[in-house]
Amino acid sequence: MQEQPENWEPRIIAFLCSWCSYAGADLAGVSRCQYPPNIRVIKLPCSGRANPFYIIKSLQQGCDGVLISGCHPGECHYSSGNYYARRRFAIMKRLLEYIGVEEGRVHFSWVSASEGEKFAKVVSEVTEAVRKLGPARRLVKNEFESGATI
Amino acid sequence: MDLQAQVRQAARKLLDDKQVDVVIGYEAADEPLRTTPCFIRDSQEVDRLVWNPFCEHNLAGYLQGRQDKAAVVAKGCDSRAIVVLINESQVQRDNITVIGVPCGGIVERKKIYRHLQGADIREAVLEGDVITVKGPGFSAELKVEDFLAECCKFCSHRNPVLFDIKIGEDVPEVDSKEQYHEVARLEGSSSEERWEFFKKELSKCVRCYACREACPLCYCKQCFTDQSLPAWVGKTDDISDTMAFHIMRAYHTTGRCVDCGNCERACPNDVQIRLLTKKIEKDVKELFGSEAGLEIGEKTSMMVYKENDPQDFIK
Amino acid sequence: MKTIAKNKMSALLDALIKKYQVFAPVQQDDLVVDFNAIRSGAEAYLEYNNSNEPVKKMFFPQSETLFTYTQGGSTETPELQPKQPRVIFGVRPCDTRSLALMDKVFDGPDFQDPYYLEKRKNTTIFTLACNNPRNNCFCSSLGYGPFFQKDTDVFMVDLGEKYLLEPITAAGTKIVKGLPGLEDAREKELSRRKALEKEAAGKITKKVDLKNLPEKLSGIFDHPVWDEIHEKCIGCGVCTYFCPTCHCFDIVDETRDDQGRRVRVWDSCMYPSFTQEASGHNPRETGKERMRQRLMHKFKYFVDNYDEVACVGCGRCMNNCPVGSDLVQVIEKINNLKREDVYE
Repeated sequence: MQEQPENWEPRIIAFLCSWCSYAGADLAGVSRCQYPPNIRVIKLPCSGRANPFYIIKSLQQGCDGVLISGCHPGECHYSSGNYYARRRFAIMKRLLEYIGVEEGRVHFSWVSASEGEKFAKVVSEVTEAVRKLGPARRLVKNEFESGATI
Repeated sequence: MDLQAQVRQAARKLLDDKQVDVVIGYEAADEPLRTTPCFIRDSQEVDRLVWNPFCEHNLAGYLQGRQDKAAVVAKGCDSRAIVVLINESQVQRDNITVIGVPCGGIVERKKIYRHLQGADIREAVLEGDVITVKGPGFSAELKVEDFLAECCKFCSHRNPVLFDIKIGEDVPEVDSKEQYHEVARLEGSSSEERWEFFKKELSKCVRCYACREACPLCYCKQCFTDQSLPAWVGKTDDISDTMAFHIMRAYHTTGRCVDCGNCERACPNDVQIRLLTKKIEKDVKELFGSEAGLEIGEKTSMMVYKENDPQDFIK
Repeated sequence: MKTIAKNKMSALLDALIKKYQVFAPVQQDDLVVDFNAIRSGAEAYLEYNNSNEPVKKMFFPQSETLFTYTQGGSTETPELQPKQPRVIFGVRPCDTRSLALMDKVFDGPDFQDPYYLEKRKNTTIFTLACNNPRNNCFCSSLGYGPFFQKDTDVFMVDLGEKYLLEPITAAGTKIVKGLPGLEDAREKELSRRKALEKEAAGKITKKVDLKNLPEKLSGIFDHPVWDEIHEKCIGCGVCTYFCPTCHCFDIVDETRDDQGRRVRVWDSCMYPSFTQEASGHNPRETGKERMRQRLMHKFKYFVDNYDEVACVGCGRCMNNCPVGSDLVQVIEKINNLKREDVYE
């Protein structure tokens, strides 16, 4: 368990597909579901648009956790975007954990437009998982601390 | 007729009959324990071609983007790379003639140097399956099978899967069950241990991109490393960027890598990058049941999907 | 001239470590030795062949921050390194020579690079002669040789049981004064040095004639020989990164929010993007033009500009080339071009 600075709150970036997950998040809002305010949402047209490299770049730039959420398989607004995404994420998640990014930093979910409660539940789970791990340090790029490489 | 003579004979016929403009194969290098790629255009020169356990390079990389008709000497892994290139429309099947050779495994030079503690080898003579190396004040006899490259020891396809001309008879395939043993060992260690290991290993990287250029399947006109809008990864040897580069490059080989070992062999700093590509290869097999480069017309695993693909990791 | 017993060398290094940041060859793994900062003399491994990476990286690192900036704020140049004077101990003559060639570029009459120069003037070099040149070494063809002792501050020779130390510059004399364990060199040790020099020269089997190369190169720009030479090259750039004299670099900006830094990083003329222009045009479109450029730069243009060949004969390009491209063979091929094929 990493030491946690005082008053540290996890910063989690959430890539949500606009047709299902983003709408689900919206529903959570209007339904006044309570969930931790730690996510920053980026809306994508489809989970298939999420380049797996977004995960790496997020971790490099200091995000403590990453969530990517899309439509349930079979319900993709673009028919098959989430099917491709599913394969990509399966490989990338395993690869990142293999190289040593802690399990629990990167999460994926299927949340439909009607699943406001599920969205709130997913975000709570993800936030708690990331909070347990502490601030992300492993892939973080510290370019302004590094200088010449001698 | 031994395999080398058969390769030469095939090349001679192809050039004499003007079926190809060039035969891409291996020739002896000045340095001991090495061969070097050669491009034969004159049938009088086919005796330059050699075939031995030092023929390490994957020559498939030379086929991409060619305008002429080429023949290429291809081992098992090389032929699989050619299949991937054809499936990805980088090579026209009709423009190439594959001279498929069965491969008993390639000698990894570094293993020999390691065994001899960095000795200055000046001469190496291969007879049968014994290499006699000589240098100032020493001489040693080494068996080829003791110094095979890691990717060859557990090779899953020693015989070419695609060929127009087949040289020799098939060699028996080896038991490749243990081919992921290095990956499995790492998977069995803790996240912390893996992080420390990969950080240390990848910090040896100086971002020369030899791995990228050596890979026959890295052929993008503009690599993601050279893009600045967006800048996927920085150009310095900052460890975070270096690790990101290797994760990204390995990821681009998903479902395509044939484990020819060209990348790791090209690395001047001995970075064990196959540990990443091999992990992906293992996962692709486990999750999607597919292997790269076995059938013409087959789409790679990232280009297709099944409705019941594994998703236990998705909430 | 002084000598020191081999078993006292560690203590000598410890004495240097008290006053300087000392870099010495350190065994990285079974085959690789590279220069690292050492904290005790025992870490140095002087029985090595040559370092995997050339010593240029100590003066011209793979990446170096030139300055940092804040939007709406100031620009800050980092404190020029090194802060503490350095000693690089045990550099081979070829790498030592390479620094003199790099000086021509980074310390010229018109341009002086402060990042490079600060390191250069704060570093003392101890060169260790090569008793056992290896298969791909061809330094003698460049006019140097395994016992080349210019361009360094202190020249050392491994005599077997002892090392011979010869201060070459004033800085070398100063640094050697007061080092522990030194004795005056005796006549037989000086003869042993001469004998070892002769032996080492005899071990170099790779020889190439560079006398007429610059002139020849100027006549063969459009010659088809370049098609042959480049064909197996995969453009990986390892030859440039591991060449002690290659010094091409790129300058990039890295920004985050309102902060940024400008960094100099190694680049290679062998990469297609090296001459890629914003319009999309690339004057060196294929590997042929790039390889031609590299060879002409090293063996002709550098000669035109600085009267020296930009090569020290260390053989790293040949050792590390993934496809076994052999520079000496390439030069011989060019040398062997018949007069009538070469047009002025």
